[in-house]
Parts: sequence; structure tokens; C-alpha cells
Amino acid sequence: MTELPETPRPSQGPGEVAVVYAGDYVNKMSGQRIERECLTRMERGCRALVINFRDTELVNSIGVSILLGVIDEAERRGARVAFSNVSLHTLKLFELLGLTRLVVLADREEDALATLEEFSTTPPGH
Amino acid sequence: MPVRTPRQRRVLARVAPEQFVGRGEQLRELTALGSARAEQKGLLLFAAPQSGVSELLRQTFDELFRQRGGPTPVYFAFARTDAATTAAARRFLQTFLTQVVAHRRDDPALVSATPTLRTLLDLAAPQDYEWVERLVQDFERAQGEGDERALVRLCLGAPQQAAAHGARAFVMFDDIHAAEGLHGEVALGPAVAQAAAQWGAPFVIAGPRRRLLDLLNGSLPLAALEGLRRLHLDRLKEADARALVEGLAQRLGVALNDETRDLVVQQLEASPYLINAILDAARAKGAGLTSFREFQGLYVDELLGGRVGRRYASVLEDVAATPALRRGLLRVLYESAAHPTGKVPAEVWMKRLGADALEFERVVRLLHMHELASFHATYVETTPSTPWRDFLRVSYRLQVAAEPRALVVADTLVEALKRAPQTMARHYRRESALGLADVLRAFNFQRVPASLLRYDRWARAYRGLAREEAQAGLSAETDALPLPQVVHAASCASFHPPIAQLCDEERCTVAHGFESGAYNAGGEVVWLAVEVESKLEAGRALAELWLERLEQVAQACGFDRVRFWLVAREGFSGEAAELLSERDVYSSGREQLEHLTALLSGAGAGGSGEADEFAIELPMTEDAELIAAHTVEQIARRMEFEPEAINKIKTALVEACINAAEHSLSTERKIYNRFRVEGDKLVITVSSRGLSVPVTLPENGVPADKNGGGEGTKGRRGWGLKLIRTLMDDVEFERVDDGTRLRMTKYLRK
Repeated sequence: MTELPETPRPSQGPGEVAVVYAGDYVNKMSGQRIERECLTRMERGCRALVINFRDTELVNSIGVSILLGVIDEAERRGARVAFSNVSLHTLKLFELLGLTRLVVLADREEDALATLEEFSTTPPGH
Repeated sequence: MPVRTPRQRRVLARVAPEQFVGRGEQLRELTALGSARAEQKGLLLFAAPQSGVSELLRQTFDELFRQRGGPTPVYFAFARTDAATTAAARRFLQTFLTQVVAHRRDDPALVSATPTLRTLLDLAAPQDYEWVERLVQDFERAQGEGDERALVRLCLGAPQQAAAHGARAFVMFDDIHAAEGLHGEVALGPAVAQAAAQWGAPFVIAGPRRRLLDLLNGSLPLAALEGLRRLHLDRLKEADARALVEGLAQRLGVALNDETRDLVVQQLEASPYLINAILDAARAKGAGLTSFREFQGLYVDELLGGRVGRRYASVLEDVAATPALRRGLLRVLYESAAHPTGKVPAEVWMKRLGADALEFERVVRLLHMHELASFHATYVETTPSTPWRDFLRVSYRLQVAAEPRALVVADTLVEALKRAPQTMARHYRRESALGLADVLRAFNFQRVPASLLRYDRWARAYRGLAREEAQAGLSAETDALPLPQVVHAASCASFHPPIAQLCDEERCTVAHGFESGAYNAGGEVVWLAVEVESKLEAGRALAELWLERLEQVAQACGFDRVRFWLVAREGFSGEAAELLSERDVYSSGREQLEHLTALLSGAGAGGSGEADEFAIELPMTEDAELIAAHTVEQIARRMEFEPEAINKIKTALVEACINAAEHSLSTERKIYNRFRVEGDKLVITVSSRGLSVPVTLPENGVPADKNGGGEGTKGRRGWGLKLIRTLMDDVEFERVDDGTRLRMTKYLRK
């Protein structure tokens, strides 16, 4: 299992979009790292999150449960979540477990950012 | 010419020294006591029932006999068959002289012979002839005079006579309780203690621990026994009992597998006697112990007509001599065992037995001594030992209820088989408990980072961090929590029995202690700690429920100053952690507990595969399932599965491994994977020992449990099996005695 890459620095300010990169195997430990990263970003004011699965080969059900927790937390805070670069197999798994109904899906990170950009600049409540 | 003792030859011992397991420490202590360098002192050996105390003493005898050079080892067991004190005293004198002469001549064969006193005189070494002759003559004179007291005094004084002439002996008295109740003027137990204290040589007095304790507090001369070392012999440790089963099976040629071995140890409560009986029975019948069914068949036979049944029956005969009293006793024992608390008032016992106060007192005292029941002045409680209660049940049905034997056999066998998985499950749960009592006992006024007992803080600062990172953070923490010193920790159920209905005994602990160095009322505190069962983070409702229960315990027990500590393996949900923080309740997850334990301690499916079958054994560690996934990927590629199918197989296998690791509570912590290529299909089996994985998990979560666990998880878990069924073509659970075996098949053509 490779280490989780660092989240790019530009996404720091309130109202901005953060990108978090998942590792090659999303299990309990790496899921918790994603969760931790996402919570930190949201605490700093991010209102939109992109989780990029470009390196992900395998996801297990514990990893999925943690991702669901992240989605719940984002929803509670009024933030949106997008998944990008999801492999076909992982996508089917997400579909099977009902995740795809809860997030924005994008083929590429840029597409996800573009979709969420508009949301993040809209003041809460609008 | 006597034959010299071969190095490992057995003299009195019934098993070879290398097969005598689990008593190394006690054997060393006893042989040291009987060695040439030992200072003069005695030892009282308190033995638990069926703990193998006699074999320990016989092994000690053999070891000292082989060592030579030191005092002569003498082993003597009192027996009720002696009937009279004079007979017992005479047998002691003969045993003593036989073993002394045998040792001095280095003639082990003489030990098991029964020479007359005159023959012993002929065999005595020249330097011993004079004192042996005088002893024999004095004995014959005392016997002729009919002076019982003088005779007993003379016989028990033999070691002193021998020592005075340079023949020092180390006498080991076994079954001291059997010295009671012998007919005669002299109370033999006190006489033995009195005499031994005057020998000027080391000695051992061994007996059932409860009786020995009673004797010490009653009839034995305390002054004579003051300052003696006390050694306690408990049941074998489980690892030793497993080694005993394996060793016996190998020696007796009985086929055995690990699962059945473990059940034997659990069900027979690690008793060396019962284990020997079952293994002997297996050998005699040419049976194996390779399945639960085989074992239970032997067990039921042993209960109904084998050594086990005879042993219990013989104790009952000893306790209740007449058939009528024995039937009455069987009835009350059976009824009190069937009672929810196992306890029945003493008056009810007396009435049901139809015995007067004296007879009743004798019966319960003997039952108490054999630890078949406990007498607590106002009530009697049948001991909750599985083999004993099984014996009571079959004996009651056969002898009191007069049910057909075939029906009793069949019912007992069926019940034993049904109970086996529960027995193992209880064992696994006990083994997997986090051991809160031990953690509490280690507190000892130490100061630890507050995050270790405050889950909300832990989650904020350390959740998701590697162990080393968390360790570094904890070391830097400045907010330290002072812990009390725990002076007594025991299961919550032993204070408040109703709690046993709600959780395993070892998962809820009450610890009494002091918060400051001075032992005064102001510093007294009681910690109530519970390991909450929850597969995921424990939710608020569950935390509230347990707080309520602990408050009830505190109130019922009258604890004034209490501190609650909730521990959940996966920690607590945000809401639960918030609640616990608000209520000033300590809370920890497994990782915190691991750090805390380290800090407190000061430590900063095998089988022969064919060419188309592959097998790997994985440890239940983080990410081990990836190794299985990569292995199966290579095999599936070779079979030319499509990439999509390969991904499905990998994911299903990962889920199966996770299920095994999460549900089994396996103590060996291994997952066995087998991959078999069968024409156009790949068959994968994933097995593990331990608890069975629930076959019928609810679609959206963990199975409901008695705690309502899973609350707060919002149905996010428990998808493993559903996923596996979706990803693979055929999925089924195979029946195994212990644990779970999941078989998954993927076809090439689909």
C-alpha cells in the first residue's frame, strides 16, 4: 500500500475546494486518513471536496463505510463531495453500495473541480 | 546386587517426566525442599480438585530418588481403606522403612514391593541395621501391648529416629483429609502435623485446599505449623492442558485435531484427571478425537459408565453411604444445579435430604471439601462445573427419575454436541476480552496522558494516525491524568449478579482503590469499567444504556464515590463521546487501551495440495488480505479470467478475509485460504478458527445483539457477505466443528 499523497496546498481558504487523493487500497487505515484529511479541510472552511481515486485499485467495505461517514459529515456541514478518476470496477462497487447517489461523479479531477467551483462560491443558504 | 537407578526410570510416577506438563515451577520448589542443601522446613500444599497433586508428589519422589545424595524421599498417601488409625500408622511405618531402605540401597524395585518389617530388617544397609531393628522391636512391643497412642506416636516418630542415625528423610503426606474419620482414639491429622514439626527434616502435607484450610483453622496444631510455606496448586493453564492432551494422544496413539483438542480442554476444564480418563477411553476403544462428535461420544460414555462417572459416584458414595441418602442427595444436587442461581437454602437441603443436623453437616462438609458444592452457612450452591453437572443430570435421570438409559444417552449426546460451539464461543470471547481488570490493577498511582481516557480528545488528536505518530503525540502531551491505586478488582457480576445477564463476566470490572497515597476514607474510589460490545464506534444510545447500568450497579452495591470507564474496541461516535465528556465519564477505544497498557507496564489451511490447488495461511493483521488478493489475481490470470472478473474475485476474497478477522475472535489469528482450479471454475475457500461468522447477517448491518450494538453506525457496515454473494457465482458456508469456512466459486464462462 502506498502512502496517501499530500493534498495540494492552494485549496486552503474558506469557501474553496479541496482535493484529497485516495491510496491504492482504500481500507480502514487509509479510509481514516481520507476522513481525517476531509474533516480538517472542512474545519478550515472548505465547502466542497474532491476525492481523487486515480491510484485506487481496490476498495473494501470498511473503506466504503468510512467514505459514507465523510459524505454524511459533509452533508451535515453543508459541503459537497465529488469523486473523480474512479476505475470501472470501483465505480460498480460504489454503485452497488449506494455511494454514487450521494456524490458528484467526474471522470477527471478538473471536471469535478469545475462542477464544485460554482457550488463553493455560492453563499450558504442560496 | 541392587540395580542402579537408570536416569529417567519411573519409580512411583505414573507418567514419564518429560510428559508431566504444567507443573515445572511447583516441581522445582518441592525438589529443592527435599534436596541436600535445603534448610529444615515444611510446606503445606493446597490442592484444587483433580489438579494432579498426587502425581506432582510422585514426580518429586522420583526426581529426588534419581538425584541421590540428599534426604530419602518418602511418599505416603492416607486412605480411607485403612479404616483405623492404627492401621494407617502401621502402613506409614512400613512405607517409610521400605522407601528408606530402597533409597539407601538404590533399589527402586523395592519401593513397589510390600516386604514385611522383618524382611526390611534383613535388607537394611549395615549402617542402618541397628536403628531399624530397634524400631521394629519397639513396634512389635507396642502392638502387643495394645497401646494405640504409643503405637501411633512410635510410627509417626520413625523419621525422627532415622534422622538421629544419619538417615534424613523428606516425607510427603498426601490426602491428609483421608486421615480424618479413621476409627481410633487418636486424631491422626493433628498427630501428623505435630510429629512432622519435631522431625528436624523437611516435609510436605498435601490435601484438598478447602479441607486443609478448615483444618488449619480448626483441629491442626497451629503452633506446629506456623511459618510453613504454603503452596497452591490450581488447575492447569490452558496452554499446559493443550500440551497434556497432545502428549497423551501421541503416546496412546489417539488421532487428534486442534479443534477437538481445544474443546477437550474447555469442556473438561483443564483437569488432568478428566483429560487422562478421556484419552485412555479413546485408546481403549480405538477411537479418535478428530471431531466434536467423536469426543462427545466418548465423554457421554465416560459419564455414564467410565472412569469419570465412577470417580464422581465414588465421591458420592463416600459422602452419602446409604442408597436412600444418596438418592436424596442426587435429587437436591440436581435441583439446586437446575435452579437459576444454583443456590438453595440450607434448611431446604436438610428437609429434602431427610437428614438430621449432624448428618446434614457431614454431607455438606464433604461436598464442600471436594468442591462439588459450596456451603455458605445459610445456603448451599452446587458447583457450576460442566462435567459435574452433566454427571448429576444423567445420574438423576437414571437413578431417581428412572428414565430409559437409551433416552438419557441420546439426550446427553445431543445436548453435548449442541453445547460445544457455545463452549468454544465462550472461550473465544473470554480470550478476546481486553482484560480491563489487569489494566486497572496496573494503575498504581501512575499519571497518563488524558487522551488515553478521553475518547473525544483521542479522536481529535490521534484517530487515523500511525501508532508511532500517536505515541509521539502522547509523549508530548502535558495534560496528565492521575490514576488511583487499585487494591481489589473483580468482575462486576461477583458484586451484582444480574449484570451477568448483560455481558460476559470478564468484560465488566469493579475496582476498589484510593486516589491518594494515604489510605483514608477521603481518597476511596470505586472504578466501574466495562468493555462495551460494538462492532463499530459505539453510539450515544449504547453509551447511555451502559451508563445507566453502571449507575444501577453502583447504587445497588452502595458505592459512594465512583468513576465510570467505558471501553469500546472501535471507540465512540461523536455524539457518544460528547455525552461521555459531558458526564465526566472516561472512555477509550482499543488503540488507547494498547497505549495505556504499554505505558502502565513501563514499556514506552494447510493440507497437501495438488498441482491445481494452492493454499496460503495469513496472519490476521492489517492488509494481510491484500496478499491473498494478489495471489488469487495471479491464479485467475493464469486461468484467463477477464480483468473485470479478476477484480470481482479479489474484492470478494478481501471481504471474506475481513469477515474472518472481524467476527471470529480467533485466538490463533490466522486465515486459511485455498484456491482450487477445477476445470472452468476457480473455487476459493476461506476458513478461520474461532466464532462462526453469522450466516444470516441482516442486509444493512451487524446482527442485533443484546446491547443493541451498531446504533450510531447508520447501517454502514455488514455488507461483506452481500458483496461476496453479488461478486461471486456460488457462495456457501461449509460446516466445520470450530470457526467458519466460506466456499466461493467463480466460473470462467459467465
